[in-house]
Amino acid sequence: MSSDLQWLLIRKNNSYMVKRVAEGPIFSREPGNLRNLHSFKYSGIANAKTIDISDSGSGIQIATRKTKTSPHAVRTGKSTSSLRNRSGGRRTLGIAASYAKRGYRPDLRTAAIGRASALLAAQKEPKPTPEKKARGKKTRAIEQSA
Amino acid sequence: MASRPTVNVRSTSGESSTSLPLPAVLTAPIRLDVVAQVHKSMAKNKRQAYAVSEKAGHQTSAESWGTGRAVARIPRVGGGGTHRSGQAAFGNMCRGGRMFAPTKTWRKWHVKVNQNQRRFATVSALAASALPSLVLARGHRIEQIEEVPLVVGSAIESLGKTKEAVAVLKSLNAYADVVKVSNSRKLRAGRGKMRNRRHRQRRGPLIVYNEDKGIVKAFRNLPGVEIVNVRRLNLLQLAPGGHLGRFIIWTEGAFGLLDEVFGTFDKAAVYKKDYILPTAKISNPDVTRLINSTEIQSVVRPAGQKVQKRPWTQKKNPLHNRSVLFRMNPYAKVLRKQELLHQERVKAKKEAKKPKVQKAAGEAFLKTLFAP
Repeated sequence: MSSDLQWLLIRKNNSYMVKRVAEGPIFSREPGNLRNLHSFKYSGIANAKTIDISDSGSGIQIATRKTKTSPHAVRTGKSTSSLRNRSGGRRTLGIAASYAKRGYRPDLRTAAIGRASALLAAQKEPKPTPEKKARGKKTRAIEQSA
Repeated sequence: MASRPTVNVRSTSGESSTSLPLPAVLTAPIRLDVVAQVHKSMAKNKRQAYAVSEKAGHQTSAESWGTGRAVARIPRVGGGGTHRSGQAAFGNMCRGGRMFAPTKTWRKWHVKVNQNQRRFATVSALAASALPSLVLARGHRIEQIEEVPLVVGSAIESLGKTKEAVAVLKSLNAYADVVKVSNSRKLRAGRGKMRNRRHRQRRGPLIVYNEDKGIVKAFRNLPGVEIVNVRRLNLLQLAPGGHLGRFIIWTEGAFGLLDEVFGTFDKAAVYKKDYILPTAKISNPDVTRLINSTEIQSVVRPAGQKVQKRPWTQKKNPLHNRSVLFRMNPYAKVLRKQELLHQERVKAKKEAKKPKVQKAAGEAFLKTLFAP
């Protein structure tokens, strides 16, 4: 079954589609959709080759569909590799880009790097907001109480 | 095709033991439009007749007052002593009148669908159920399953207890789909609650068996799970809502019987008279592969230079801007050249016509002018 035909079958209606705004963009919740956009290029289930970059809790996980697998295989058709937390940004992005470098979906290079770096940014603990310094009358009140 | 693809048969504990060839019906053409249209018609065949009362709005002896009373000629309720008297009746625009075109129980409730179309739709839905992407797109939780179609050894047919059935589904990693159904159970909105449709829930796996040795009773109490004999496959179960890709769990016997039930592309079905599977209109629907094939690439012209238009440039008015005009109408250049030449010629002619040089006055004239 060709991926073009599969896309035609799932394009109009599928369980991953997110249509919130009329006339707005259509998003997708598919696993393997790097931009979360409902389109053939980014579709994680219609395409024969997909790159899935997700946060597994203990690090970033990259799963790709094997090229030489049977079209009926589901779990066994995927190969996954995980990156531990604190692997570092350069390393993670390098691995995300390596699929494109190898010739496996070179068109998804920017999307893969973009998603990986977004996940990296989300992993960072936000800096604590500095405490507000009291100004004006409040400083005098504090001094008096002290 | 080099070799016929095979599908693994799994034991009830989940590991694959033997394998079966893929039945021809699972490679039949998938026609979304046929399935949707046939489903729409077939879903109508379960309806029950309803209508308003035959007498509704006509249980009064109203008659029109005719003209001349300065009121509309609609029938009016006669008599006096009550508010009803003198009120308009019968018409669909009247309070207490009958509805417009009252519904009748003899409406056409059922829709006939041609047998071949029904079979085409069934076959399409079956073929779609063998593609993981379409089953996922329908919303079934099959991510952890090894393979679609999922075929289980015949031992599953002789299960008698639901507890055992759950254990089998868990070992096949198919239980997630039942859990999904269980979590989706919601109270129905509206009056359907009091009409034996109290809850709504998703659909789970469809279990197709060959021979019931207890499998029906083992599975029937699981939420969302439906069980059907392979000889009685039904589009309403194979593509609920007209959406392709139901998750089907086959027993080994049922899977092996598919070639007999639906036939193949060149052998008629045993269970249907003179039925062979529909063939696809094109053998290779892979558009990218077709475009990149040597047959097509050898005849197409090479790609030309890429023309990149600059966006957001100011639009030039060709009536004022000559270069834009010449780009739109090359003949305008010829006209313009002719015009210039013409003007030059006229000018030259004008110059050629010498202006009158004032000559000095004649002698005779001067003589008479200065005559004493």
